[in-house]
Amino acid sequence: VTTSLARPVCLSLDSFSRAAGLHPDLVTRLVALGLLDATYDAGGAPYFAPSELARVARIQRLREGLSINYAALGLVLDLLDRIDTLEAVLRGRRPTHGGNDRRWTRTA
Amino acid sequence: VAGGRDFYEILGVARTASTEEIQRAYRKLARTYHPDVNKDPAAEERFKEISEAYDVLSDPDTRQRYDRFGPDFRQVPEGVDPDAWAAASGGRRRRAGGRSSGRRTPVDDSGIFTEGFGVGDIDIEDLFGDLFSRAPRGPVRGADQEAELELTVEEAFSGRRHHITLPGPDGPRSYDVTIPAGVTDGQRIRLPGQGGRGRGEGSPAGDLYLVVRLAPHPRFRLDGRDIYVDLLVTPWEAALGAKVPVDGPGGEAKVSVPAGSSSGRRLRLRRRGMPNPKGSPGDLYAEIKIMVPPHLTAKERELFEELGRVSAFDPRKPK
Repeated sequence: VTTSLARPVCLSLDSFSRAAGLHPDLVTRLVALGLLDATYDAGGAPYFAPSELARVARIQRLREGLSINYAALGLVLDLLDRIDTLEAVLRGRRPTHGGNDRRWTRTA
Repeated sequence: VAGGRDFYEILGVARTASTEEIQRAYRKLARTYHPDVNKDPAAEERFKEISEAYDVLSDPDTRQRYDRFGPDFRQVPEGVDPDAWAAASGGRRRRAGGRSSGRRTPVDDSGIFTEGFGVGDIDIEDLFGDLFSRAPRGPVRGADQEAELELTVEEAFSGRRHHITLPGPDGPRSYDVTIPAGVTDGQRIRLPGQGGRGRGEGSPAGDLYLVVRLAPHPRFRLDGRDIYVDLLVTPWEAALGAKVPVDGPGGEAKVSVPAGSSSGRRLRLRRRGMPNPKGSPGDLYAEIKIMVPPHLTAKERELFEELGRVSAFDPRKPK
Protein backbone atom coordinates (compact mmCIF):
# COMPACT_ATOMS: atom_id res chain seq x y z
CA VAL A 1 0.00 0.00 0.00
CA THR A 2 1.43 3.34 -0.93
CA THR A 3 0.35 6.49 0.74
CA SER A 4 1.11 9.76 -0.87
CA LEU A 5 2.82 12.28 1.34
CA ALA A 6 1.07 15.41 0.33
CA ARG A 7 2.62 18.52 1.70
CA PRO A 8 0.45 21.61 1.79
CA VAL A 9 1.52 24.38 -0.54
CA CYS A 10 4.50 25.90 1.22
CA LEU A 11 7.34 28.21 0.41
CA SER A 12 10.97 27.56 1.19
CA LEU A 13 12.96 30.22 2.98
CA ASP A 14 14.47 31.36 -0.30
CA SER A 15 11.29 31.59 -2.27
CA PHE A 16 9.48 33.17 0.65
CA SER A 17 12.22 35.77 1.08
CA ARG A 18 12.19 36.53 -2.62
CA ALA A 19 8.44 36.90 -2.68
CA ALA A 20 8.53 39.12 0.40
CA GLY A 21 11.42 41.18 -0.93
CA LEU A 22 13.42 40.62 2.25
CA HIS A 23 16.81 39.23 3.10
CA PRO A 24 16.53 35.59 4.27
CA ASP A 25 18.39 36.54 7.47
CA LEU A 26 15.70 39.01 8.32
CA VAL A 27 12.99 36.44 7.62
CA THR A 28 14.79 34.01 9.94
CA ARG A 29 14.92 36.71 12.61
CA LEU A 30 11.24 37.45 12.23
CA VAL A 31 10.55 33.76 12.83
CA ALA A 32 12.83 33.76 15.87
CA LEU A 33 10.89 36.72 17.21
CA GLY A 34 7.64 34.85 16.80
CA LEU A 35 6.33 37.37 14.29
CA LEU A 36 6.15 34.84 11.47
CA ASP A 37 5.13 31.21 11.62
CA ALA A 38 7.20 28.52 9.95
CA THR A 39 7.02 24.75 9.84
CA TYR A 40 10.16 22.66 9.59
CA ASP A 41 10.88 19.65 7.42
CA ALA A 42 12.84 16.63 8.58
CA GLY A 43 16.11 18.36 7.74
CA GLY A 44 15.15 21.37 9.84
CA ALA A 45 14.59 23.70 6.91
CA PRO A 46 11.79 26.20 7.47
CA TYR A 47 8.73 26.33 5.25
CA PHE A 48 6.17 29.08 5.09
CA ALA A 49 2.48 29.07 4.35
CA PRO A 50 1.56 31.53 1.61
CA SER A 51 -0.63 33.38 4.12
CA GLU A 52 2.54 34.44 5.91
CA LEU A 53 3.28 36.70 2.94
CA ALA A 54 0.32 38.87 3.86
CA ARG A 55 1.60 38.91 7.42
CA VAL A 56 5.12 39.91 6.49
CA ALA A 57 3.71 42.71 4.33
CA ARG A 58 1.69 43.88 7.30
CA ILE A 59 4.84 43.78 9.46
CA GLN A 60 6.66 45.97 6.96
CA ARG A 61 3.80 48.42 6.60
CA LEU A 62 3.36 48.78 10.35
CA ARG A 63 7.06 49.19 10.91
CA GLU A 64 7.47 51.80 8.23
CA GLY A 65 4.25 53.63 8.81
CA LEU A 66 4.18 53.76 12.58
CA SER A 67 7.82 53.17 13.53
CA ILE A 68 6.79 50.24 15.69
CA ASN A 69 9.68 48.23 17.06
CA TYR A 70 9.82 44.48 16.68
CA ALA A 71 8.87 43.65 20.25
CA ALA A 72 5.77 45.84 20.07
CA LEU A 73 4.96 44.55 16.59
CA GLY A 74 4.20 41.13 18.00
CA LEU A 75 1.63 42.62 20.30
CA VAL A 76 0.15 44.82 17.59
CA LEU A 77 -0.18 41.85 15.22
CA ASP A 78 -1.83 39.77 17.92
CA LEU A 79 -4.27 42.54 18.76
CA LEU A 80 -5.12 43.16 15.12
CA ASP A 81 -5.74 39.42 14.70
CA ARG A 82 -8.00 39.42 17.72
CA ILE A 83 -9.92 42.39 16.41
CA ASP A 84 -10.33 40.59 13.07
CA THR A 85 -11.68 37.54 14.88
CA LEU A 86 -14.05 39.60 17.00
CA GLU A 87 -15.29 41.52 14.00
CA ALA A 88 -15.90 38.27 12.16
CA VAL A 89 -17.93 37.00 15.12
CA LEU A 90 -19.90 40.24 15.22
CA ARG A 91 -20.57 40.06 11.52
CA GLY A 92 -21.88 36.55 11.86
CA ARG A 93 -23.97 37.31 14.91
CA ARG A 94 -27.59 37.42 14.07
CA PRO A 95 -29.47 40.52 14.99
CA THR A 96 -31.60 39.83 18.02
CA HIS A 97 -35.17 39.23 17.36
CA GLY A 98 -37.73 40.29 19.96
CA GLY A 99 -37.77 37.46 22.51
CA ASN A 100 -36.14 34.05 22.14
CA ASP A 101 -39.46 32.36 21.77
CA ARG A 102 -39.03 29.91 18.90
CA ARG A 103 -42.60 28.70 18.84
CA TRP A 104 -44.14 28.35 15.48
CA THR A 105 -47.21 26.82 14.06
CA ARG A 106 -47.23 24.55 11.09
CA THR A 107 -49.41 25.84 8.32
CA ALA A 108 -51.61 23.55 6.35
CA VAL B 1 1.85 66.00 -5.10
CA ALA B 2 2.06 68.87 -2.69
CA GLY B 3 -0.43 70.89 -4.68
CA GLY B 4 -3.33 69.71 -2.51
CA ARG B 5 -4.22 70.69 0.98
CA ASP B 6 -2.10 72.72 3.34
CA PHE B 7 0.23 70.52 5.38
CA TYR B 8 -0.65 72.26 8.63
CA GLU B 9 -4.31 71.75 7.89
CA ILE B 10 -3.70 68.07 7.18
CA LEU B 11 -2.08 67.61 10.58
CA GLY B 12 -4.63 69.92 12.23
CA VAL B 13 -2.04 72.17 13.81
CA ALA B 14 -1.49 75.93 13.76
CA ARG B 15 1.27 77.37 11.61
CA THR B 16 2.98 78.38 14.82
CA ALA B 17 2.92 74.84 16.23
CA SER B 18 6.07 73.57 17.91
CA THR B 19 7.94 70.50 16.66
CA GLU B 20 6.50 68.55 19.58
CA GLU B 21 2.94 69.54 18.72
CA ILE B 22 3.49 68.52 15.11
CA GLN B 23 4.91 65.20 16.16
CA ARG B 24 2.06 64.58 18.58
CA ALA B 25 -0.54 65.39 15.95
CA TYR B 26 1.22 63.18 13.42
CA ARG B 27 1.51 60.19 15.72
CA LYS B 28 -2.18 60.34 16.64
CA LEU B 29 -3.28 60.64 13.04
CA ALA B 30 -0.87 57.97 11.83
CA ARG B 31 -2.27 55.52 14.37
CA THR B 32 -5.81 56.36 13.31
CA TYR B 33 -5.32 56.12 9.57
CA HIS B 34 -2.68 53.44 9.17
CA PRO B 35 -4.09 51.08 6.52
CA ASP B 36 -3.57 48.06 8.76
CA VAL B 37 -5.57 49.66 11.55
CA ASN B 38 -8.18 51.44 9.50
CA LYS B 39 -9.80 49.43 6.73
CA ASP B 40 -11.72 52.33 5.29
CA PRO B 41 -10.74 52.65 1.62
CA ALA B 42 -10.17 56.38 2.18
CA ALA B 43 -7.69 55.77 4.97
CA GLU B 44 -4.80 54.83 2.70
CA GLU B 45 -4.79 58.18 0.93
CA ARG B 46 -5.25 60.04 4.17
CA PHE B 47 -2.31 58.19 5.69
CA LYS B 48 -0.09 59.11 2.75
CA GLU B 49 -1.11 62.76 3.07
CA ILE B 50 -0.39 62.74 6.78
CA SER B 51 3.01 61.11 6.27
CA GLU B 52 3.94 63.56 3.55
CA ALA B 53 2.87 66.53 5.65
CA TYR B 54 4.88 65.23 8.56
CA ASP B 55 7.94 64.52 6.43
CA VAL B 56 7.97 68.16 5.43
CA LEU B 57 6.97 69.81 8.69
CA SER B 58 9.06 67.67 11.02
CA ASP B 59 12.27 68.89 9.49
CA PRO B 60 12.94 72.52 10.43
CA ASP B 61 14.67 73.21 7.13
CA THR B 62 12.00 71.90 4.83
CA ARG B 63 9.34 73.37 7.09
CA GLN B 64 10.90 76.80 6.75
CA ARG B 65 11.10 76.40 3.00
CA TYR B 66 7.49 75.27 2.92
CA ASP B 67 6.45 78.28 4.99
CA ARG B 68 8.33 80.58 2.63
CA PHE B 69 7.53 79.16 -0.73
CA GLY B 70 4.30 77.26 -0.16
CA PRO B 71 3.32 73.99 -1.82
CA ASP B 72 5.86 74.43 -4.64
CA PHE B 73 8.79 74.68 -2.28
CA ARG B 74 10.45 71.64 -3.81
CA GLN B 75 10.69 73.35 -7.15
CA VAL B 76 12.36 76.41 -5.71
CA PRO B 77 16.10 75.98 -6.13
CA GLU B 78 18.22 76.58 -3.11
CA GLY B 79 19.56 80.07 -2.84
CA VAL B 80 16.58 81.74 -4.40
CA ASP B 81 16.00 83.74 -1.31
CA PRO B 82 19.41 84.20 0.32
CA ASP B 83 17.92 85.69 3.46
CA ALA B 84 15.63 82.79 4.07
CA TRP B 85 18.24 80.24 3.20
CA ALA B 86 20.84 81.86 5.43
CA ALA B 87 18.35 81.84 8.28
CA ALA B 88 17.49 78.22 7.57
CA SER B 89 21.11 77.09 7.48
CA GLY B 90 21.82 79.06 10.64
CA GLY B 91 19.04 77.33 12.42
CA ARG B 92 19.98 73.91 11.16
CA ARG B 93 20.87 71.64 13.96
CA ARG B 94 21.10 67.90 14.03
CA ARG B 95 18.44 66.65 16.32
CA ALA B 96 19.89 63.92 18.44
CA GLY B 97 17.84 60.77 18.12
CA GLY B 98 15.61 62.47 15.64
CA ARG B 99 14.36 61.09 12.42
CA SER B 100 17.02 61.31 9.80
CA SER B 101 15.37 59.82 6.78
CA GLY B 102 11.71 60.42 7.08
CA ARG B 103 9.21 58.05 8.55
CA ARG B 104 11.10 54.88 7.90
CA THR B 105 13.46 55.28 10.81
CA PRO B 106 12.53 53.06 13.71
CA VAL B 107 12.44 54.72 17.09
CA ASP B 108 13.54 53.59 20.51
CA ASP B 109 14.15 50.01 19.56
CA SER B 110 17.50 48.96 20.81
CA GLY B 111 17.04 48.37 24.52
CA ILE B 112 14.10 46.05 24.22
CA PHE B 113 15.84 43.82 21.78
CA THR B 114 19.17 43.18 23.38
CA GLU B 115 17.41 42.66 26.66
CA GLY B 116 14.61 40.49 25.43
CA PHE B 117 16.87 38.11 23.58
CA GLY B 118 19.89 38.12 25.81
CA VAL B 119 22.25 38.80 22.99
CA GLY B 120 24.91 40.98 24.47
CA ASP B 121 27.49 41.24 21.80
CA ILE B 122 25.38 41.84 18.74
CA ASP B 123 23.08 44.77 18.48
CA ILE B 124 20.27 42.94 16.77
CA GLU B 125 18.22 46.01 16.29
CA ASP B 126 21.07 47.62 14.38
CA LEU B 127 21.38 44.56 12.23
CA PHE B 128 17.67 44.69 11.59
CA GLY B 129 17.59 48.35 10.84
CA ASP B 130 20.44 47.72 8.45
CA LEU B 131 18.76 44.89 6.73
CA PHE B 132 15.65 46.92 6.29
CA SER B 133 17.32 50.02 4.98
CA ARG B 134 20.01 48.27 2.94
CA ALA B 135 17.87 45.64 1.33
CA PRO B 136 16.35 46.75 -1.93
CA ARG B 137 12.95 47.93 -0.91
CA GLY B 138 11.13 44.88 -2.08
CA PRO B 139 7.50 44.57 -2.99
CA VAL B 140 5.07 44.82 -0.08
CA ARG B 141 1.55 43.64 -0.65
CA GLY B 142 -1.12 46.25 -0.01
CA ALA B 143 -3.44 46.13 2.98
CA ASP B 144 -6.97 44.76 2.75
CA GLN B 145 -9.77 47.26 2.84
CA GLU B 146 -13.39 47.09 3.86
CA ALA B 147 -16.38 49.13 2.81
CA GLU B 148 -19.99 48.82 3.84
CA LEU B 149 -22.70 48.18 1.31
CA GLU B 150 -26.17 48.94 2.56
CA LEU B 151 -28.97 46.97 0.98
CA THR B 152 -32.69 46.91 1.55
CA VAL B 153 -34.27 43.59 2.47
CA GLU B 154 -35.90 43.47 -0.98
CA GLU B 155 -32.55 44.02 -2.71
CA ALA B 156 -30.94 41.27 -0.68
CA PHE B 157 -33.89 39.01 -1.43
CA SER B 158 -33.85 39.37 -5.18
CA GLY B 159 -30.17 40.19 -5.72
CA ARG B 160 -29.09 42.79 -8.22
CA ARG B 161 -26.29 44.72 -9.75
CA HIS B 162 -24.91 47.56 -7.71
CA HIS B 163 -22.89 50.48 -8.85
CA ILE B 164 -20.61 51.60 -6.06
CA THR B 165 -18.07 54.39 -5.89
CA LEU B 166 -15.26 54.41 -3.38
CA PRO B 167 -12.39 56.77 -2.74
CA GLY B 168 -9.18 55.44 -4.23
CA PRO B 169 -5.53 56.30 -4.67
CA ASP B 170 -6.17 57.90 -8.06
CA GLY B 171 -9.47 59.54 -7.32
CA PRO B 172 -12.83 57.85 -6.96
CA ARG B 173 -13.16 54.37 -8.40
CA SER B 174 -16.36 52.64 -9.40
CA TYR B 175 -17.42 49.06 -9.54
CA ASP B 176 -20.42 47.23 -10.84
CA VAL B 177 -20.94 44.46 -8.37
CA THR B 178 -23.51 41.73 -8.81
CA ILE B 179 -24.95 40.92 -5.44
CA PRO B 180 -26.34 37.39 -5.45
CA ALA B 181 -29.86 36.83 -4.22
CA GLY B 182 -29.92 35.87 -0.57
CA VAL B 183 -26.99 37.75 0.97
CA THR B 184 -27.26 38.09 4.72
CA ASP B 185 -26.35 40.87 7.08
CA GLY B 186 -22.60 40.95 7.71
CA GLN B 187 -21.69 38.79 4.74
CA ARG B 188 -18.52 39.85 2.99
CA ILE B 189 -18.06 40.04 -0.75
CA ARG B 190 -14.44 39.88 -1.79
CA LEU B 191 -13.05 41.86 -4.69
CA PRO B 192 -9.54 40.45 -5.10
CA GLY B 193 -6.76 42.93 -5.80
CA GLN B 194 -9.00 45.97 -5.28
CA GLY B 195 -7.72 46.90 -1.83
CA GLY B 196 -4.77 49.03 -0.77
CA ARG B 197 -1.96 49.46 -3.26
CA GLY B 198 1.18 47.44 -2.81
CA ARG B 199 4.53 49.11 -2.55
CA GLY B 200 7.22 48.48 -5.13
CA GLU B 201 7.18 46.97 -8.56
CA GLY B 202 5.02 43.96 -9.14
CA SER B 203 3.65 44.01 -5.63
CA PRO B 204 0.07 42.81 -5.43
CA ALA B 205 -2.64 45.06 -4.06
CA GLY B 206 -4.69 43.95 -1.08
CA ASP B 207 -8.27 42.79 -1.35
CA LEU B 208 -11.36 44.87 -0.99
CA TYR B 209 -14.22 43.45 1.05
CA LEU B 210 -17.74 44.76 0.76
CA VAL B 211 -19.57 44.09 3.99
CA VAL B 212 -23.31 43.80 3.48
CA ARG B 213 -25.47 45.76 5.89
CA LEU B 214 -29.19 45.23 5.67
CA ALA B 215 -31.05 48.45 6.28
CA PRO B 216 -33.78 48.26 8.91
CA HIS B 217 -37.10 47.53 7.28
CA PRO B 218 -40.43 48.91 8.44
CA ARG B 219 -42.11 45.50 8.18
CA PHE B 220 -39.55 42.73 7.86
CA ARG B 221 -37.26 41.56 10.63
CA LEU B 222 -34.46 39.22 9.74
CA ASP B 223 -32.81 36.47 11.69
CA GLY B 224 -30.22 34.96 9.42
CA ARG B 225 -32.27 33.81 6.46
CA ASP B 226 -35.55 33.69 8.35
CA ILE B 227 -37.84 36.63 7.83
CA TYR B 228 -40.46 37.73 10.34
CA VAL B 229 -43.43 39.81 9.47
CA ASP B 230 -46.41 40.94 11.53
CA LEU B 231 -49.69 39.44 10.43
CA LEU B 232 -52.47 41.83 11.36
CA VAL B 233 -55.77 40.11 12.03
CA THR B 234 -59.16 41.07 13.45
CA PRO B 235 -60.29 39.58 16.76
CA TRP B 236 -62.88 37.45 14.99
CA GLU B 237 -60.36 36.16 12.40
CA ALA B 238 -58.09 35.19 15.26
CA ALA B 239 -60.89 33.53 17.20
CA LEU B 240 -62.63 31.77 14.34
CA GLY B 241 -59.74 31.10 12.01
CA ALA B 242 -59.32 32.56 8.55
CA LYS B 243 -57.29 32.50 5.39
CA VAL B 244 -55.49 35.82 5.10
CA PRO B 245 -52.86 37.19 2.72
CA VAL B 246 -49.36 37.74 4.05
CA ASP B 247 -47.04 40.04 2.19
CA GLY B 248 -43.46 38.76 2.10
CA PRO B 249 -40.50 40.17 0.19
CA GLY B 250 -41.09 37.54 -2.50
CA GLY B 251 -44.71 38.50 -3.00
CA GLU B 252 -48.02 37.66 -1.46
CA ALA B 253 -48.93 34.30 -0.01
CA LYS B 254 -52.09 32.99 1.62
CA VAL B 255 -51.81 31.72 5.12
CA SER B 256 -54.37 29.92 7.25
CA VAL B 257 -54.78 31.41 10.67
CA PRO B 258 -55.93 28.55 12.92
CA ALA B 259 -58.96 29.21 15.04
CA GLY B 260 -58.07 30.35 18.55
CA SER B 261 -54.81 32.12 17.68
CA SER B 262 -53.66 34.78 20.10
CA SER B 263 -51.20 37.59 19.39
CA GLY B 264 -47.63 36.35 19.12
CA ARG B 265 -48.45 33.02 17.50
CA ARG B 266 -46.12 32.35 14.63
CA LEU B 267 -47.18 30.75 11.42
CA ARG B 268 -44.35 29.33 9.43
CA LEU B 269 -44.23 29.49 5.68
CA ARG B 270 -41.52 27.07 4.75
CA ARG B 271 -38.83 28.22 2.34
CA ARG B 272 -40.48 31.58 1.80
CA GLY B 273 -37.64 33.42 3.58
CA MET B 274 -34.33 34.64 2.22
CA PRO B 275 -33.02 32.52 -0.65
CA ASN B 276 -29.79 30.65 -0.08
CA PRO B 277 -27.34 30.31 -2.96
CA LYS B 278 -25.73 27.36 -1.20
CA GLY B 279 -28.65 25.52 0.29
CA SER B 280 -32.23 25.70 1.33
CA PRO B 281 -33.83 29.09 1.76
CA GLY B 282 -34.97 30.45 5.09
CA ASP B 283 -38.53 30.47 6.32
CA LEU B 284 -41.03 33.25 6.49
CA TYR B 285 -42.72 33.63 9.86
CA ALA B 286 -45.98 35.51 10.06
CA GLU B 287 -46.54 36.64 13.63
CA ILE B 288 -50.13 37.18 14.57
CA LYS B 289 -51.01 40.57 15.89
CA ILE B 290 -54.66 41.11 16.80
CA MET B 291 -55.94 44.56 16.01
CA VAL B 292 -59.17 46.08 17.25
CA PRO B 293 -61.09 48.86 15.56
CA PRO B 294 -59.92 52.15 17.06
CA HIS B 295 -63.44 53.55 16.95
CA LEU B 296 -66.43 51.34 17.38
CA THR B 297 -69.68 51.89 15.66
CA ALA B 298 -72.80 51.57 17.79
CA LYS B 299 -73.43 48.13 16.44
CA GLU B 300 -69.86 46.93 17.00
CA ARG B 301 -69.93 48.24 20.54
CA GLU B 302 -73.17 46.42 21.18
CA LEU B 303 -71.75 43.14 19.87
CA PHE B 304 -68.53 43.45 21.87
CA GLU B 305 -70.47 44.29 25.00
CA GLU B 306 -72.61 41.25 24.46
CA LEU B 307 -69.53 39.11 23.92
CA GLY B 308 -68.08 40.51 27.12
CA ARG B 309 -71.18 39.54 29.05
CA VAL B 310 -71.46 36.06 27.57
CA SER B 311 -67.81 34.97 27.54
CA ALA B 312 -66.13 33.45 30.57
CA PHE B 313 -62.68 33.82 29.02
CA ASP B 314 -60.14 35.64 31.21
CA PRO B 315 -56.59 35.60 29.86
CA ARG B 316 -55.24 36.88 33.20
CA LYS B 317 -56.62 34.01 35.19
CA PRO B 318 -54.03 31.25 35.76
CA LYS B 319 -55.06 27.93 34.27
